[in-house]
Parts: sequence; C-alpha cells; structure tokens
Amino acid sequence: MTRNLIYGLALMALPALSQATGTGRIFVTNEGSDSVSVINGKTLEVEQTLTIGKRPRGIGLSPDGRELYVAASEDNAIVVVDPGSLKVLRTFPAGSDPETFAVHPNGHIYISNEDDAKATVFDPANGNQIAEIPVGLEPEGVAISPDGSRVIVTSESTNMLHVIRVPEHDIVANILVGARPRAAVFTRDGTIAYATSEISGEVKKVDMRANKIIAVEKIADEKAKPKDVMLSADEKTLYVAGGRSDAVIVLDAATLKIKATIPVGKRVWGLARSRDGSRIFSTDGASNSVSAIDTGRNEVIKTIPVGELPWGIVIDD
Amino acid sequence: MRVNIKISLAILMLWSALQGVAFATTEIRLLYIGSEDDTAYMGARQGLSEANLQGQFLDQKYVVDVRAPGVLPAEAFSGVAAILATVNADLLPALAASATGVPVFNLQAQEDSLRTACIANVLHVIPSEAMLQDAVAQWQKANPGAQVTASAWHGDFMKYAGRDLNKRFRAASGQAMNDASWAGWAAVKMTSDTVARLNDASPAAVLKFLRQQLKFDGQKGAEMSFRDSGQLRQPLLLIEKGKIAGEAPVRGVADADDLDSLGNSDCSGQK
Repeated sequence: MTRNLIYGLALMALPALSQATGTGRIFVTNEGSDSVSVINGKTLEVEQTLTIGKRPRGIGLSPDGRELYVAASEDNAIVVVDPGSLKVLRTFPAGSDPETFAVHPNGHIYISNEDDAKATVFDPANGNQIAEIPVGLEPEGVAISPDGSRVIVTSESTNMLHVIRVPEHDIVANILVGARPRAAVFTRDGTIAYATSEISGEVKKVDMRANKIIAVEKIADEKAKPKDVMLSADEKTLYVAGGRSDAVIVLDAATLKIKATIPVGKRVWGLARSRDGSRIFSTDGASNSVSAIDTGRNEVIKTIPVGELPWGIVIDD
Repeated sequence: MRVNIKISLAILMLWSALQGVAFATTEIRLLYIGSEDDTAYMGARQGLSEANLQGQFLDQKYVVDVRAPGVLPAEAFSGVAAILATVNADLLPALAASATGVPVFNLQAQEDSLRTACIANVLHVIPSEAMLQDAVAQWQKANPGAQVTASAWHGDFMKYAGRDLNKRFRAASGQAMNDASWAGWAAVKMTSDTVARLNDASPAAVLKFLRQQLKFDGQKGAEMSFRDSGQLRQPLLLIEKGKIAGEAPVRGVADADDLDSLGNSDCSGQK
C-alpha cells in the first residue's frame, strides 16, 4: 500500500520534472568562431556570446535542465555550463574529437568520437568514462530511445546504424543504410527511428523492434544533403535539415512523403524543436544565422545572426 | 511442463543453429595487379582495413593478393570478387578479356580510348584525360589566365570528409594521399560497400551492382556512380602551385551537381 502510494507520487512528480521550465534560452554552437551564441527565447535576439572551447559542435542539456553540455571538438573535451548564470561549471576530457552526443535519461552522455571509430559513455558528474563501444568509421549521429534501453550511433564511412543496448553497452544490430548516415531520432515509444543519409540523399524509417528499414524516401532535390532530423510534438511530421538545398524539408512521418519545403539560410545543418512544438529552429551554417520557423505556417518568422558556421542547437525550455 | 521444456529446447537448438550460420565468417578475395610499392596499393590497403572494420559487423573478411602485371591464366581469377589494376593502357583490355565477368578496377590509365571502348567489366576509378581537361577548362572560363591542373584528390583536401580520409591514410601509411592511392582506396571501399549490401561476393553480382546501382561516398561530397563507359562520375580538384584552388564542376560555369559536365564520352570506340 505504502509502496504503491510512493510509486504513484513518483509518477505524478515525473511529468513535473520533465516539464520543468528552463531559462527559455536557445544555445547555438558556432564551429567556425569557437563560440556559443545565447539567444533569448522570447525576443529571438542574441543576448550573449560565450567563448568556452575550440571548435564547439555537439550541444545538449542534462535531463533536469540544470547543465548545458558543449563538445569542444578540438579541445577533446566536454564543457559544462550553467544555462542560467552562463558560467562554466567544469570541463572534462571526452576522448578524441568528440563531435555529436546525446544525453541519456539517466544523465550519462553518449558521444561519437569521429577520429577513433568508437562511441564513449561519460558520467558528466565526475567526468568518468563508463564505457567504450567500437563502431564503424567516422561515427556521427547519436540518438537515445526515450526509455534509455537503446542507443543508435551512425557511422558515416561504414554506412551503418549501430544499435547499442543499455546497460550492457554491446551492439545488438548493425543496419546498413544509404551513404553517409548523419542523424537519427526515436519516437517516444521507441518502436520507430528515423535516420538521414547525406550522400544518398535519403530519409529512412526503421522498425526498432525488428531492426529493419520499413520505408525510404529519396529527396528529389539533388542538392539536398539531409543532415539533422526532428519529430513534431505529435510525431505526425518529420523535419529534415536539407544541407545544400538551403531548406528544411517537412515530411509526413507515416509515409515519408514530402509535405513542404521551407527555404532557410545556406547549408542548413542542425535542428531543434520547442517543447510545445510551435517552433523549429535551424542552424544555417554558410549564412551564419539561425532560422526560427513557425510550424503552423511552415514559414520562417525570424532570421537570427549568430557566429561563424553555426552547427548545433538546443532549447532550454 | 514437459512440453514446455521440449519447446524451449527446440527453440534453443534452432537459435544455436541460426547463430552458427550467422557467425560463419565469409572471406572475400581481391586481386591486386601491380607492385606492392605502388601508391595505389597503399590506398588499397587502407580500403582493405576499412572494409575489414565494416566486415567485423557483418562477419566478412577481406584479403588481397598481389600479382605482377601481365596476362594471367584463368585460374588466377578463381574465387576473386574483384581485380584492382595498376597497369598501363596497353595491358588493361587484354587483362579484362582474360577475366571475363570479374570487375577490373582501373587505378592508373587515364587514356580516353579506354573509356570509348566501353569494356564491360572495366571500371575506371581514375579520372580520364577528358575529365581532367574539362575541369581545367571550366576553371579557366571562370578565372581567365589561371594556370591550374586537375586532380582526383589532394593530401590537403579538408572539405566534406576529406579531412578524415587524409588523416587516417597519413596515420596508416606515413604518406599524403594522392590520385592513385585515392583510386586504390575507393575501389576497395566500393567493393565492400557492394558486397555488404548484396550479401554476395560473386563477381557477376558485384559487377552488375557496381555498374547499375552504386551510390558511392568517395569522401568528395557527391554521390558517385559509373557511366555506361565504365568511368566513375566524380568531382575533381583544381590545384594551383601545389595548393587546392577549387573544385569542379566549377560553380557559375557548370551546375555543381552535374558530374557529367566533366569529360563524358559515348561508346563510339567500342569494337
């Protein structure tokens, strides 16, 4: 009885925790100018620019939103920042050339080490390396299922999605995909993942129970080099950063058919979605800007100048 | 209870049998014709190490044997998935004829006549003379008076994933990657990509896939495939005084994605 009560209380507390309102800020890594732009989520203006490490690329928040993590690729480190005070809390070594990472619901960070053909797992509380998993060449995208049981690491030069089991940290499947797989995203129930392939210009839908590709869409625009991928809040729509097509491509998540193409800046690379789903933000690398998209109208409502070669983006909301 | 145990045992045995099949490593043999001192061979070794890294996940193992240039007896090609050839233009057609149905990658000969000959089993990874000439002409149209040469690769190439490939080749070989070593690397890599996708290393299947379905990432930012002539479509680099000046197709002169703006040819020289 008491146990059930505690369990019930814990369940009630969970949504409150996961919806804790953050600073509302949008953080953007600028690979070319070694800086992080801090955008005010209300005014959509840059309020501060942080200089915290060399070649910043991957960026993410802790599950409780209290810590911001930035992969400083050339420093081979993760820099931990307080998203409120914007002070650097600590820095820890994160293997060779940390590029992209994802934060597990348990707080651990799963990193792709591009130069080393491996993924590494760190506890950001103390900087300890928990695991090292050999994967294919040029590991890039990292995605974690919401229940934390599966991690996908894409290897760009081995053309695979490596499916890693947690907590065992062994590979349970290697799914061959189109050339240069970049990014992946899970649905909330973890049964489906979507992945992009940059060189083959494809978006794939993968059944994560069978580890099988169930749908493929080749983006017709030859200039499209699909990079980041994001689901809408209702999971009915998929947003893909189109790279050199200078657009965010909007697909039907069920059929993968293209519903809209939203022109943004040049060489669109990273994507982030507001918690309520009303906005999508893209980093437009060659335009040195971030585009704010209204998802109701599929239109850019504001272009925000940031640093050079904006790469990663995360929203603390 | 008893029935359940029997079913469990049957499932366990079936599972073990399936595991046994899945874990049997397939060996894929490649044949390099040339010298172990060739820079193209260094590139092929790099490709081999990358193919074997992928092979770990698929229970495939790649090996390469080396033979000196010459026309070889048919048994030399037995069990070979693909041939990598650093031979001159005179020898290549005869070599291809002696290995009918086996993909022969041309890593060295740039002669246009080999492209217009459209030899069914020859795949030219190295760019043709016409491609190199067109790349230079496009560049000069955009930059009159510029003295440039065209190249398949350069050791300083950083864009796309050029940086990554150059870094790992230099670490493994102590050399800067050049056109020949890139071609050697690319030939092995596209073979392993094909075998992985087909789960079949028979030369006929590999050749058919390479010619008709290949979408290769040669780490130059574009999807590569073979023309009917057997020539690999690829972007080229323009080099001025040893440094990379640009890429072809040259923007503003040609569509950057129109790889056939570089030295496309028909099969008029086919015999």
